[in-house]
Amino acid sequence: MNPIAAGLAATTGLAMCASVAAIGTPSRWRARVVGVLTAVSGTAGVAAGIAAVTGIGWRAELPGVLPLAGLTLDADALSGWFLVIVGAVTTVVGIYTIGYAGGDGRGPGSGTSLTVLPVFTAAMALVPVAGSVPTLLAVWELMAVASLLLVLTEHRHRAAVRSAGVWYAAMTQAGFVALLVGLLWLAAATGSVSFAGIRSAAGHLPAAVTGAVFLLCLAGFASKAGAVPLHPWLPRAHAEAPSHVSMLMSAAMVKLGVYGILRVGFDLLGGGPRWWWLVVAALGALSALYGIMQAAVAGDLKRLLAFSTSENIGLILLGIGFTGVLAHAGNTLAAGLAMTAVLLHTVNHAAFKTLLFAGAGSVVRATGTRHLDQLGGLVRPMPVTTAFVATGALAAAALPPGNGFVSEWLLLQAFLHPGQGADTALTIAAPLAVAVVALTTGVAVVTFVKAVGTGFLARPRSDCAARAVESPASMLTAMGVAAAGCVALAVVPALATPALTRVLAGLQLGGTPVNREVLGLHLAGTAASVRPLWLAVGIVAVTGTVAVTARSLGRARRRAIAWDCGDGPLTARMEYTATSFAEPLQRVFDDVLAPERDIDVTHDTESAYHVAAIRYHQQIPDRIENRLYRPVVDTVAAVGTRARALASGSVHRYLAYMLVALVVVLVAGVIR
Amino acid sequence: MSHDVSSQLLNLACGLFLLTALGVLWRRQVSALVSLLTLQGALLTTIAVLLAAEHHSAAALAVAAGIGILKAGIVPWMLRRVHRLVPDARETRPLVNISASILAAAGLTLLGYAAARPLVAAASSASGRATPVGLAVVLIGFFLAATRQRAISQIIGVLLIDNGIAAVAFLATGGVPLVVELGVSADLALAVLVLQILTNRLHATFGSTDLDELRELHD
Repeated sequence: MNPIAAGLAATTGLAMCASVAAIGTPSRWRARVVGVLTAVSGTAGVAAGIAAVTGIGWRAELPGVLPLAGLTLDADALSGWFLVIVGAVTTVVGIYTIGYAGGDGRGPGSGTSLTVLPVFTAAMALVPVAGSVPTLLAVWELMAVASLLLVLTEHRHRAAVRSAGVWYAAMTQAGFVALLVGLLWLAAATGSVSFAGIRSAAGHLPAAVTGAVFLLCLAGFASKAGAVPLHPWLPRAHAEAPSHVSMLMSAAMVKLGVYGILRVGFDLLGGGPRWWWLVVAALGALSALYGIMQAAVAGDLKRLLAFSTSENIGLILLGIGFTGVLAHAGNTLAAGLAMTAVLLHTVNHAAFKTLLFAGAGSVVRATGTRHLDQLGGLVRPMPVTTAFVATGALAAAALPPGNGFVSEWLLLQAFLHPGQGADTALTIAAPLAVAVVALTTGVAVVTFVKAVGTGFLARPRSDCAARAVESPASMLTAMGVAAAGCVALAVVPALATPALTRVLAGLQLGGTPVNREVLGLHLAGTAASVRPLWLAVGIVAVTGTVAVTARSLGRARRRAIAWDCGDGPLTARMEYTATSFAEPLQRVFDDVLAPERDIDVTHDTESAYHVAAIRYHQQIPDRIENRLYRPVVDTVAAVGTRARALASGSVHRYLAYMLVALVVVLVAGVIR
Repeated sequence: MSHDVSSQLLNLACGLFLLTALGVLWRRQVSALVSLLTLQGALLTTIAVLLAAEHHSAAALAVAAGIGILKAGIVPWMLRRVHRLVPDARETRPLVNISASILAAAGLTLLGYAAARPLVAAASSASGRATPVGLAVVLIGFFLAATRQRAISQIIGVLLIDNGIAAVAFLATGGVPLVVELGVSADLALAVLVLQILTNRLHATFGSTDLDELRELHD
């Protein structure tokens, strides 16, 4: 039996077992059983994915499973790459669920939530191996509906969850409609529903058709990926969903949007004209900048992570766009480099975002709040969680020796080597892209310093933060696995080069120009090379040496409280809060972010010169959302309110509507 | 029975079928409406029997028998029971008066014939050419349901629609599979049962079966 088939069968089979087990198991054991089965199912997915990236290839037709079209599965190296991501995240989430959902059998531990969770993971595992348009649409919709149900897990407790659910449902359905129209149009134009048939026939389609199909598919996939301006669901859903669901959505589901763009753009439509990829790159640049700016000023830990997802997807889309543009300019070397960076960054982002959302989940579980201004001082009660979150934050800030550094470095190399024969557009776009990546990375450093510094270090700013306790062993194990993944990706990314070569070959981009040296990456045709392992070892060694030398050789240290102005011990009220930490940056981007500040000064009744209290309230609205979506939502609501007049409650009127509709249809038929 | 006579009889039955629908629109007395509906059920059965004879099909004959029992027997019996329980159910003030209703029915019949032209053109037999009759009855049934006040008139409208659909099915295809007809009939019997109970409850609660009384229930 083909190992891919075996792995996929095990993944879906175990997920179905977990789903059924969630219904039949008493609440005390439910999370444990479902968590273990889901984790094993994810591991089977990783195995299937690894088998697929080795280039075995597997194709199966299951005509009886879906009505009319049947189920077509087709696994190539690209499928395998994303299957590994989905499987690995599923494994970590499975382990995490054991502790996270193992409370009183409510909320994330409820029967419904745990029944849907494996369905969601199985649907995600099937998306990259879908081999035909109906199969892709079916599993895509299954994934969307399952994730929506999971987002709504805590809808009884908070109104914000319901609002997030409505936003997510509306946007995911709109995206699905765009995909439906785009892919069915493609299938109709090529006369084939299977990807193999479309691939061979797509070259003969008129440019207008392929362009329209690409834009529709881009809208559908980019909205799932959370690219700005199709992002408003993402900060809501990621923040309001239970954390294990946020992990799955942010680390795995949004990557499938990236997969869709790669599959349709490069594979099915075979590249296409340059303007497609300029659009993608522009979308990516906008997402990266807007996402990280919103993340930098976000006070809600999970909202911060969600906007950071938008940012990373932006970088990935920027890389995809440049791959297309560079390939069009004939520079296959730089194109391959950009795609290598994209693929590595999808894995890296999946790894560190799994870890960070797991950490956020632990924090919320321990303190009951997501607001950074109320956290602080968690390093003492939760040392292990803090260490893991710091690892993830290092990666997310793209600093060496984190794994985010490797892929962003590769991305920059691609932008810095646009080639000799580059035309005007590319000559202008490449330095701009470098600037975007540089600015994004810089702001990302501030963002994650803020997240770790105000969230975990210093003194607790509220009682709930002071009462925090460390998470159960299973959650720590899950975070440990994710952290180990981050470290492995940071020090030995070179192990992935054979797989990358096969994925790139499948996308008709030649091979990867990244040569594998011993524990390092060297770029063909350039002098650029990086040795992440030595970088990590070097940084650790230098830091350690400096610390040890300073201790042993420096003067004897004197302990004193800093910055207390002689006014006794520091209190939590004297600390930087997340808001005040981000304030200078927010001032720089004031025109872009347009924050709404509100300062209330209360004076003493005796003297107007004596201030009794100052209240500072600040809100940073999502301007893109307000400008783009608010008018649409308002119009729909107004039309809906007016349309209520149609439903007067009279049975006769309803019957008359039906009669009139029938007569109109018949008359139209007669006239035609 | 020769082929010619059979098709003549079929045409006659179809004509009467349409005429009974018009009669339902014309009369106001509930007992008369139920009689007309019984007659229409019998005519539908006749059409089904004639078609079964033409195709020499025992299954079609069984379907015809089932239709006869349901539409000329059980349904009218249920309606009479409603009428006995709610004796004042005379259609006093329809939303569209009788003469205008008849005119509208003429227009709807015309529309039915115009819309069914492709069906007629595709048909080879006499039965196929009579298809528009069924369509016209569907439209008239809809019109009746939309313009009458009493709950029982609504039931009769729905029954006309169903009769029309059944007639189209028989005339266009020359017979419906037994299973399909069984399913449809079961649905219909259930719908009539529900409407009957609803009418009784309406009468018991409000002392009238005027559906406009229900207007307050919306939203």
